[in-house]
Amino acid sequence: MDTPVLLVVLPLLTAFSLGIIKTFSKKLVKAVTVISATVHLALIISVVREAMQSPIVYHLGDWDNLLGISLVIDSFSAMMALLVGVLSYGVIIYSLVYVDFHELKYYVLSFLLIAGVMGMSLTGDLFNLYVFFEIVSITSYALVAIKEEEASFEGAFKYLVMGMLSGTFVLLAIILTYQVTGALNFAQVAANFGDAPMLVRQTIFVFFLIGFGTKFCLVPLHAWLPDVYCGAPASFNALSSGIVIKASLYAFIRIVFLLFGMTAGIGQILIYWGVITFLVAHTLAYQQESLKRLLGYSSIAQIGYILLAIGLGTESGIIAGSYHIFNDGLMKATLFLGVGIFSYAVGASKIDDLRGLGFSMPKISFAFVIATLAIIGLPPFNGFISKWLILQAAWETEYIVAAFFIPVGSLLSLAYYLKVIKALYSRPEREIEVKPIDWKLRVPTYVLSAACLVMGIIPGLSLALIENIPKFLLDSSNYINLLLGR
Amino acid sequence: MRKFASLIIVVLLSGLLLMTFLSLSTADYDLSEHYINHGAEETKALNLVTAILFDYRAFDTLGEATVVFAVASTIAFLVPKRTASMISARFSIIMQQTTSLLIPFLFMIGAYIIAYGHISPGGGFAGGVILAVITILITVTFGIRYSDRQVRPEIKSFMESFGAMGFVLLGFIGIVLGGNFLANANSTLDLGVKGELISSGIIPHINLMTGLKVAAGLSIMFNSLIKEE
Amino acid sequence: MEQTFLAIAVLFGLGLYIILTHQNLIKIAMGIGVMESAIILLFIILSYRPGGTAPILDADAQAYDLIVDPIPQALSLTAIVIGAGTTALMLALIIKIYNRYNTLYIDEIKKLKG
Repeated sequence: MDTPVLLVVLPLLTAFSLGIIKTFSKKLVKAVTVISATVHLALIISVVREAMQSPIVYHLGDWDNLLGISLVIDSFSAMMALLVGVLSYGVIIYSLVYVDFHELKYYVLSFLLIAGVMGMSLTGDLFNLYVFFEIVSITSYALVAIKEEEASFEGAFKYLVMGMLSGTFVLLAIILTYQVTGALNFAQVAANFGDAPMLVRQTIFVFFLIGFGTKFCLVPLHAWLPDVYCGAPASFNALSSGIVIKASLYAFIRIVFLLFGMTAGIGQILIYWGVITFLVAHTLAYQQESLKRLLGYSSIAQIGYILLAIGLGTESGIIAGSYHIFNDGLMKATLFLGVGIFSYAVGASKIDDLRGLGFSMPKISFAFVIATLAIIGLPPFNGFISKWLILQAAWETEYIVAAFFIPVGSLLSLAYYLKVIKALYSRPEREIEVKPIDWKLRVPTYVLSAACLVMGIIPGLSLALIENIPKFLLDSSNYINLLLGR
Repeated sequence: MRKFASLIIVVLLSGLLLMTFLSLSTADYDLSEHYINHGAEETKALNLVTAILFDYRAFDTLGEATVVFAVASTIAFLVPKRTASMISARFSIIMQQTTSLLIPFLFMIGAYIIAYGHISPGGGFAGGVILAVITILITVTFGIRYSDRQVRPEIKSFMESFGAMGFVLLGFIGIVLGGNFLANANSTLDLGVKGELISSGIIPHINLMTGLKVAAGLSIMFNSLIKEE
Repeated sequence: MEQTFLAIAVLFGLGLYIILTHQNLIKIAMGIGVMESAIILLFIILSYRPGGTAPILDADAQAYDLIVDPIPQALSLTAIVIGAGTTALMLALIIKIYNRYNTLYIDEIKKLKG
């Protein structure tokens, strides 16, 4: 009955209570963390199953008639919630061993981050979206700085300045939207937005694009990401690349479809900008020596593919794009967790440091290579399926140029990921001493990497989840009626 | 060159902003009309801003409280653990006596603004800031060691967690009473008479929790930032 | 009304200009503060109704004809709190960076880093 709101409130409550729990017993902190994460995952799965039958609307404070804030869980939100649940659970288990700096604060901030991303995915209210957006931003800055190294402070500062600029633009767009529509929930905003003058609508679009685009790394606004990833702990990188960036992208997609509709003009902007984004990001990734920077640029590139697919504005495009959001989350989390293990075991941070690890840590390296092949887009992994779907959708709508550049992008990524794989399986210059790796580090990596394979072989598993997404995006009246309760 | 490019960007953006402002249209503000005409009746809170913040859009306020919580806990770990002396300005006895004289009054104003947040201007955030001023004043006049001895940091972080948890737990009252999360005006709670101190259901209690949280959070932030290595 | 809009646009532009051109970390923080104030001002001016009173009623209520829009006021409170939080976080980071490099200028920090 009340499970939808628990998805947001449970991690919040856990974060608030950890400080008090610590004063009673330090051992209890980890136990509570694990229990809460497990319950959270179970709740998410039950809500997602319910939402797949029929979308859920939850009125906070029992205010119906849209006086208050409502949570809306349609297929798109449900997919995001599932992604958040799976990744955050894996990362929390992984952190139990990986994190040895400011443990308590790390868990508090992680739970706040998860609550924020969850709120962003579920909320049906424009200003509420902004509040959760800022919670996510602030906890992200903090988690970047948590290792207290020089690189982390600089990364965090850069992130903070860019983040505040982006927050300012989003807030500006939201208040302008309120002025011209007189409402804040998505349904009434979407219904009244068409009456606004053309110039105002264009400005609002530009501000949303700049604001969210800074956060999901459109190409000229992406400069913060590689620096941030360098200084941050690998567990945060996995969360950031997997769900934080995706949440901003989700919010942008939701707003564009509801407020503006995917008109030809907006669609073309997104398609070509997406193509530029992934080409530039792939080229930059090729020049990197640091593993985390390389993966960071690769994350930016995947955003380009998703924008392209969404910009097509067709049913197949949306399915392909949202499927790629889900797949990229799984692949990037696996890669970053793998990099985290490499740096934990032998202190590797550059591609050259990986030499010979394929022999001394065969299983982890295998899991890592699976995710690498998947993200390049080779069959039979999940990355291949979603990239193929994007290609097909672009071909159908006769964006031949865009369709042509998708395999080009894959080739580029093949070039730099091959460097990584080659380093893994080349003979080391000297013996490597490997620290023993706890199962809590290994199991989440294995499971996520296995998921990449399974989703590639049996794509039908997730199809049930995403096949309804276009229904609520393409025809915004479906979403509006759902929220209005008609 | 850099300055010139920035100037162009800035002028373009400001120009766009100004043009947008001048062509802004208005809409039917049904939502705010409803709040103005029925808000006080529905929530029994005379302060409509409080009614919106703590009832209609209480979920936003929970997020806001979360932001303060996140920032306070971040700053607490970012700054040095060692309590070194702050750049000490030695104040005269006049300053110290005046401060000690002021504190009870400040406490009263803060408590009043929190408690009467639903019937007069004010609320948890404003009152909480005034309460935080007390510890800030103590820190500035008597030094950080004295301030941390008077109100120990552990107590402050306990208060902060307590306030935040209290907010969430008050939200669960709605669920216990068979409604939704944070239900107040629409639950079976007795809202009392409009304009009385004990009225409008959980709103004053949420105000109190927010006040505690903000006061503790801000004083943690200030005391942490002022420490020097 | 128009003058206020002009002021908002100018404040917003000034803040952005400071962030884009200045090297001093504290000044960047100030620039962000200026931009935020511009937005809060926008909240206020959009909620303003000529001749309206504050959205706080009397006990006997309905004594006022015209009340300013309470929603932007509530939203601006949220925005102020979020802005204050982020600024505090930013200042803490600046303190940390200053402790490491003994300078507040981006150029010199880059030089020290090599």
